[in-house]
Formats: sequence, C-alpha cells, structure tokens
Amino acid sequence: MAELMSSSEFRVALEQAFSGTMAKDASFSRAWATGKLHKQHFVHWATNHYHYIGPFGDYLGLMYANTPDHARDAKDFLLQNMYEEELSDDRHTDLLIRFAEACGGTRAYVQDRNNAMPFAKGMQGWMYYVSGRENFVVSSAALIVGLESQVPSIYRTQYPTLINKYGFSEWEAEFFDLHITSDEIHGERGYQIVLKYADTPELQQRCLHYVREAADMRFAYTKALYETYVQPDLGPWVEEDEREPALVG
Amino acid sequence: MPRIYFKTADQYVEFAEGEEVNVLRMAIRDGIDVPWQCASGNCGTDRLVVEEGAENLDPPRRRERARLGELVDEDYRLACQTYTRGDVTFSWDPDQVGLDDEPGDGGGSRTGWAGTG
Repeated sequence: MAELMSSSEFRVALEQAFSGTMAKDASFSRAWATGKLHKQHFVHWATNHYHYIGPFGDYLGLMYANTPDHARDAKDFLLQNMYEEELSDDRHTDLLIRFAEACGGTRAYVQDRNNAMPFAKGMQGWMYYVSGRENFVVSSAALIVGLESQVPSIYRTQYPTLINKYGFSEWEAEFFDLHITSDEIHGERGYQIVLKYADTPELQQRCLHYVREAADMRFAYTKALYETYVQPDLGPWVEEDEREPALVG
Repeated sequence: MPRIYFKTADQYVEFAEGEEVNVLRMAIRDGIDVPWQCASGNCGTDRLVVEEGAENLDPPRRRERARLGELVDEDYRLACQTYTRGDVTFSWDPDQVGLDDEPGDGGGSRTGWAGTG
C-alpha cells in the first residue's frame, strides 16, 4: 500500500508522471516546431484546439463548484483562471480564432463542431467528465498539472517557428505568446494546490493516475492531428535525424 | 548551478544547467515574496529591476514591451514574462502596485496566496 509522500517527493512524482508522454514530443508538435506544416494544417489545429479548450471556463466552473469552502485559495485560483481565460484581456478563444484567420481560416469554420476530429470531442468529453465528477484536487492535477502546465513547453518551441519561418506577426501569434507565460503561472499554481490538498496516500495516487491519463490523452490527440491532417500530405512522421539522407534537407 | 537572486527578499532559487526558467514561476514555487497580480503581462505589478545578468534573459516580446514602455530601457522586466538561462539578480520596491493603480486602491500584490504549508 502506498504511503503519504512528502511535498517534494510528490512533486517529483507528478513531474515524472507525464515526462514520457509530453505533447511537445508528439508528431504534430515536432512537425510544427521544425517548420514542416502548411498554413492549412494550422487551421485544422486551431479548429480542433477550439473545441478542446474552448470550454475551459466551463471545466473550471465545474471544478469550482466541487471545491469545498475551506479550500478558499483553490477556489480563488479557479475563479481567477476563469476570469483570465474569458475577461481579463482578449478572450483566449478570440486570440485562437485570430491566428486561424491569419492562416486563411474563418471564425465560422473554427467554431463549427462538425469540423473537429472525434479525438477533439473525446478530449472535450474527458475534461467535462474529470472536472465534473472528480475530487477538486484530482481534477486540478489532471487539467492544470497534467494538461495546462505542459503548454509552455509546447509553445516555446512552436512560437519562434511561427514568427521566424512562417512570418506571422506577433499580433497574429499572440495566442501562443500569452499562453507561454500565463500557463507557466497557472501550472505552478496548480502544483501548489495539488501539493497542499492531496493529503492522503489515496488522493496522491489518484492525482498521479490522472496526470498520466491527461498526458496520454493530450499526446494521443496531438498525434491524431498529424495522422488526420498532415500525413496525407507529408507521409508518416520521421524525425530529421532518423530520415534517409536523401530525404533530409 | 545557475541561480536567480531575488535581492529585495534576500533569497535565491537554483535551477538545472541548460534549462530556461520563468522568473515568476520560480518565485511562486519557492514562496518568494515578489509582488504580482495578473501574471499575464497586463498589470505590471511584477516589474523587477535587472541588477546583474541581463545577458542571460530572453528579449522582451510584444506584450511586455507594450506594458513597460520606456521602462524597458531602464532595465525593468516583468517577472511573469521573463525567462532566464543563467545567473541573474533582481530588485524591486516591496510596496509597488500595478502600473495603472494607485497605492491603496486595492491594486496591490497578491503574494503568498497558496503556500504549500
């Protein structure tokens, strides 16, 4: 039977729980970071991402309702996260649509649920399930540590490519710039909540389980983006250093 | 091991060689009393003076440049927007509030909101 880990041991365990399946290493992310994608691929990405993270305020609202009053700091964090997603500045989904439009897409196309992959709808359903049904500390581990805290590592490799290779302006790519930094802080605050309130061995283990599951979900979703939209154009993904010499460069 | 020295609090955090880390994240992680509010580059509450190690910081992007304006040329950076890959020293006014706020109008810092206890 698992024993209660110290805060530092638990943090290391949480970090290790998703280190092997981070979405930044999935084929679509790698193709993006290395400049292989076309702008139409970005429209598909934005459309699916819209249906995956568009209801993020809803997910947080469900978590808020499931958080007990004594965990006031956790409730305040969730409320502020909601505010930042929707109201504090440009609405995050509007920044996402701004990017899609810069790639040739339209708001109507992005917002049409029929244009999203089943994987994106599955991701959305999973997030509604976890946020609505799980203990608030477990859903914080899943959505904030497992998913949101990964975002800077993904976008920090993709953003320079958008600016330097594809020639997007900083304004057009603001969605990424904003999330590189804001999700650093959201992710860290998520860790603080989980470290503080996962105060039994069972809760700690359940958090670890859901962090792994979240990472697996996001990795599979990101891989599916490549297989659905990019593979028909570029073939199966092969890392640059694994390609036949004739195919490189 | 590189370190961020938060001079006003007289505390530092270390990070692994080869990593690039977000300055505010590291402060929150270790419970260092850096003032901050929005963590999105909007309020400017977390503006810090770079005393040493500016060469180890990433250049400011659009959001940070827009928020800081001329302060960028006076060695200010926003902790939430800044990454470092090496030694750096920061100081700040412990009573500072957001750039659009007046002291005492509720725009002060929101530190220590969720210590790990």
